[in-house]
Amino acid sequence: MGAPEKSQSNTNAMQRVKVYHLNEDGKWDDRGTGHVSIDYVERSEELSLCVIDEEDNETLLVHPINSDDIYRKQEDTIISWRDPERSTELALSFQETAGCSYVWDQICTMQRNLHFSSLNSETYHSLNSELRELPAVELTTLPLILKIVTESGITDQMRLTELILKDHGFFRNLMGVFKICEDLENVDGLHMIFNIVKGIILLNSSQILEKIFGDELIMEIIGCLEYDPGVPHSQHHRNFLKEHVVFKEAIPIKDPLVLSKIHQTYRIGYLKDVVLARVLDDAIVANLNSVIHANNAIVVSLLKDDSTFIQELFARLRSPSTSMESKKNLVYFLHEFCSLSKSLQVVQQLRLFRDLINEGIFHVIEEVLQIPDQKLVLTGTDILILFLTQDPNLLRSYVVRTEGTPLLGLLVKGMMEDFGDKMHCQFLEIIRTLLDANALSGGAQQRANIMDIFYEKHLPELVDVITASCPEKSGNTSDGASKRIRTKPEVLLNICELLCFCIMQDSSRTKCSFLQNNVTEKVLHLTRRKEKYLVVAAIRFVRTLLSVHDEYVQNYVVKNDMLKPIIDVFIANGNRYNLLNSAVLDLLEHIRKGNATLLLKYIVDTFWDQLAPFQCLTSIQAFKVKYEQCLESAGPKSTADAVDPRRRVDERALDKEEEDYFNEDSDEEDSASASNTQKEKPACSNTQEEQPKPLANGVAASPASSSPRSGGLVDYEDDEDDEDYKPPPRKQQVASEEEEGELLGLKRKSPCVEREQEPSKKPRMGKNSKRENVFAVLCSTLSHAVLTGKKNQGTTGSAIRSIVAKEPENSRSSEENNSSSSDDENHKDDGVSSSEHGTSDNGKLNGEESLVVAPKSSPEMAVNGS
Amino acid sequence: MSDLDQQIEQLKRCEPLKESEVKALCLKAMEILVEESNVQRVDAPVTICGDIHGQFYDMKELFKVGGDCPKTNYLFLGDFVDRGFYSVETFLLLLALKVRYPDRITLIRGNHESRQITQVYGFYDECLRKYGSVNVWRYCTDIFDYLSLSALVENKIFCVHGGLSPAIMTLDQIRTIDRKQEVPHDGAMCDLLWSDPEDIVDGWGLSPRGAGFLFGGSVVTSFNHSNNIDYICRAHQLVMEGYKWMFNNQIVTVWSAPNYCYRCGNVAAILELDENLNKEFRVFDAAPQESRGAPAKKPAPDYFL
Repeated sequence: MGAPEKSQSNTNAMQRVKVYHLNEDGKWDDRGTGHVSIDYVERSEELSLCVIDEEDNETLLVHPINSDDIYRKQEDTIISWRDPERSTELALSFQETAGCSYVWDQICTMQRNLHFSSLNSETYHSLNSELRELPAVELTTLPLILKIVTESGITDQMRLTELILKDHGFFRNLMGVFKICEDLENVDGLHMIFNIVKGIILLNSSQILEKIFGDELIMEIIGCLEYDPGVPHSQHHRNFLKEHVVFKEAIPIKDPLVLSKIHQTYRIGYLKDVVLARVLDDAIVANLNSVIHANNAIVVSLLKDDSTFIQELFARLRSPSTSMESKKNLVYFLHEFCSLSKSLQVVQQLRLFRDLINEGIFHVIEEVLQIPDQKLVLTGTDILILFLTQDPNLLRSYVVRTEGTPLLGLLVKGMMEDFGDKMHCQFLEIIRTLLDANALSGGAQQRANIMDIFYEKHLPELVDVITASCPEKSGNTSDGASKRIRTKPEVLLNICELLCFCIMQDSSRTKCSFLQNNVTEKVLHLTRRKEKYLVVAAIRFVRTLLSVHDEYVQNYVVKNDMLKPIIDVFIANGNRYNLLNSAVLDLLEHIRKGNATLLLKYIVDTFWDQLAPFQCLTSIQAFKVKYEQCLESAGPKSTADAVDPRRRVDERALDKEEEDYFNEDSDEEDSASASNTQKEKPACSNTQEEQPKPLANGVAASPASSSPRSGGLVDYEDDEDDEDYKPPPRKQQVASEEEEGELLGLKRKSPCVEREQEPSKKPRMGKNSKRENVFAVLCSTLSHAVLTGKKNQGTTGSAIRSIVAKEPENSRSSEENNSSSSDDENHKDDGVSSSEHGTSDNGKLNGEESLVVAPKSSPEMAVNGS
Repeated sequence: MSDLDQQIEQLKRCEPLKESEVKALCLKAMEILVEESNVQRVDAPVTICGDIHGQFYDMKELFKVGGDCPKTNYLFLGDFVDRGFYSVETFLLLLALKVRYPDRITLIRGNHESRQITQVYGFYDECLRKYGSVNVWRYCTDIFDYLSLSALVENKIFCVHGGLSPAIMTLDQIRTIDRKQEVPHDGAMCDLLWSDPEDIVDGWGLSPRGAGFLFGGSVVTSFNHSNNIDYICRAHQLVMEGYKWMFNNQIVTVWSAPNYCYRCGNVAAILELDENLNKEFRVFDAAPQESRGAPAKKPAPDYFL
């Protein structure tokens, strides 16, 4: 009973009021100062406002709450009314606004209840009078109890909670009645009990929850909840929990407290997720989650501090005499253990993980990864991911420190393996995290070391998987003849993704390694696969490689005719507008905007015959125009560039056979490559011959190589662009941005705009700086989200942060837009716009929506509570 | 009954699929989606739906109002996941329908079909909660990358999740986007998914969302004119009446998540177009409480801790 007393003292100031009475002269008489309360007055069954004098404890005022609308609130501190019986005007003046609004709310709530009760006044009297104590729980009193539980106002709920806790026999009796009802198949009774128990849980009192989650009560409570009147058939929760749920003990747990908490946690989770999933509100779900969270923390920390337990665990894991079956269970246990340690404080969890590492957990997992049981292997990877989420360097230092260990190799092997219908994206995820330069913490050196090992030992095997699983030649993919090792397409997709990731991480090292090992060439074998998404993945790989903007890479691509397979699949795809089509066009756009002269020339010179039929596509057309500009501007500098094309041509001559094969429909091309040294010229003349047909808009009229700038489309190019022209590597980054919007007459990046003063181009708004501002403002609020949140999924931390920053605006702006929309919206908008002041119901919404800025407060997060 | 049909039935009961089924479904979906274009052609009659946001039972109301797929031809404008409690079931049902009836349902990408956004707004957590790992989230977000960016109904109605982009004057320019990527922070692809029409803006304006742009009536007029389309249909913004025309009927917002976030009190709408492109908006309310079945999530039957 400490609670009410405490609240008394806390609210003392809040309750302090002066009582006024309107006299006949129309003046307010001060009747004294005291403390106000709302309570049952002796011998009355009505709730009344009482004021007790603070000095002599005399009753200054007793006023039964009236259900009529006689009360008025003034100036935040005064409640006044006209007493209907005595025909007098009375007023309470509060010392504090909080006290006034508290009492005001109480009055309103009680009026609502009175209003409701008067509709069936028969039970009304018994209800309120019984609230001083609960009726004895019997079959006959169930309706009354149900009424008390479900219809009590907020004030009564506190009292009800108190009474239930005080009445030690309450739940035992209720369960007794439940048993009788169940035996008698008294459906009405069972339904009432369901609603009583549900109502009691919804009181959301931690003390009551603790009581009913205890070992003695929980199963029967869950039994009561099997009889939901809203669901046609009763559920079999107890049966499920008793018959189907198995508590496994990998290592016997002796501490009864731990055991009891483990069982309790499972049942609370079951109650929350299954039994009452439909009825729980956010507040109680949050409460239950915190109970589960706390229980988990207790269990994990008690077990981790039990050194004999941990030692035994690892002793058994290491022991060769442990049977496979119990070894599996030990690993599954280990996974749950690590997984639940998320409930610990970060520091504690880190300490636990360090302890586990010292016990040799990574070595254990290394063994696990070699056991031919896919489920077990995947559990092993899940454990690794838990460690990586905590701190990638924990695993990195293991991989580096013990370089001879096969862990990294096992992960790579796992990535290449066929896991049937099981998901095994964890392997890619782990490797990616290990190699990720953007991981939050340091460990750059370790990462670099892992990079070394990976490139040296594992990259080749991954690439070989690709070549081994692709047909020798494209074209005959449907033939059975091309059957190769059957690697699942998703494995190839993962490999391709990892390779792209490597380029992004460390372009210079990747570049060297990839070029030395002909990785690009091999990845391009994927273009021979019939799965179009693999073909597209190969195109994207090349696109990623070329995004490095490196002359050396470009030379390599040209020299080895790397784009041939890509152009071939593009041509073979014909006019179909699909992802493949877009991916190739995107690649070409990238080359065009990057001003990569070498590539521009290579593509047009080599493939124009094939590409010409696609000139109807704007980007193909623009590509050609760009090419022509390059030819002209590059003319004086051709000495530098000339070296490479010649080398390329020599190389190409070796591949002539293959090329002929692919270029059957292109005679000029063949003859061109036959006359090696003259390659450049004939190709140009070819394009000239081709031109007049498709390009009817003026470009065609001008011989491409002589004066491309006279063409209509050329207007898009500005003079400075040409004067600016430098060999690709130095300029690209800027150029690609500059020209992004050139065909639109718009400039996207403001920093570049000033360099190009062409009048036909509208200046862009300062989009960059805008973004930065918005992000800067929001990032500070959001860093919290990122930290509490979902770790790096191989994407950079800053990237997450910045996108995250956008969304809060989303919700806000959707309302803003809403409120500033057209006239027919306005009546609705009132609510929304006024909600900014937090007064209406919608105000609550708005408040919460803007709270989304800190994601923990968003509704989903509240529900999850994690 | 094929496996897929069974899975669709299961999903219609709001029961999520097993991991292995999700994997197989995603691979099949990938094959289908890779053949779609960035501006996917759609024939009329078609029913256009806006944001769903994981409100599974409200989506079932939508199907009640609009008719079942494949009988009705559907176009969903993205934002299938996040915020609601059933993002997993919602997206998987739509994806299963897509695989089963590729020509009768079109799914395009919304700004919430993104790894970064779903990590904050619920889908990630939901996958973790329902499957115990985030593998399903990884598979689904991989599929997001393949979703088309926009649709064109009978060459006359341009449909997109967010709106227009200053980098896109003609529909042809959308073609050169390699859409298989995480939604970028700027550029044409980002704008299509993030932008909003705005009355007070003349031309282009900064978006308070931090991504995409605000665009005014003149932009819409010239876009519609140069692409010879009647109007733009988009989603992305809550409208209390479920749909809202702007700029002299040149652009319409369709919103299909009634009582958004279970507390906004709005109604939802879908736009039915008949074969002659005659419009009918069907407005609907949130599903009644009692029709929301208990989520079928059962915890693993065995536990160590």
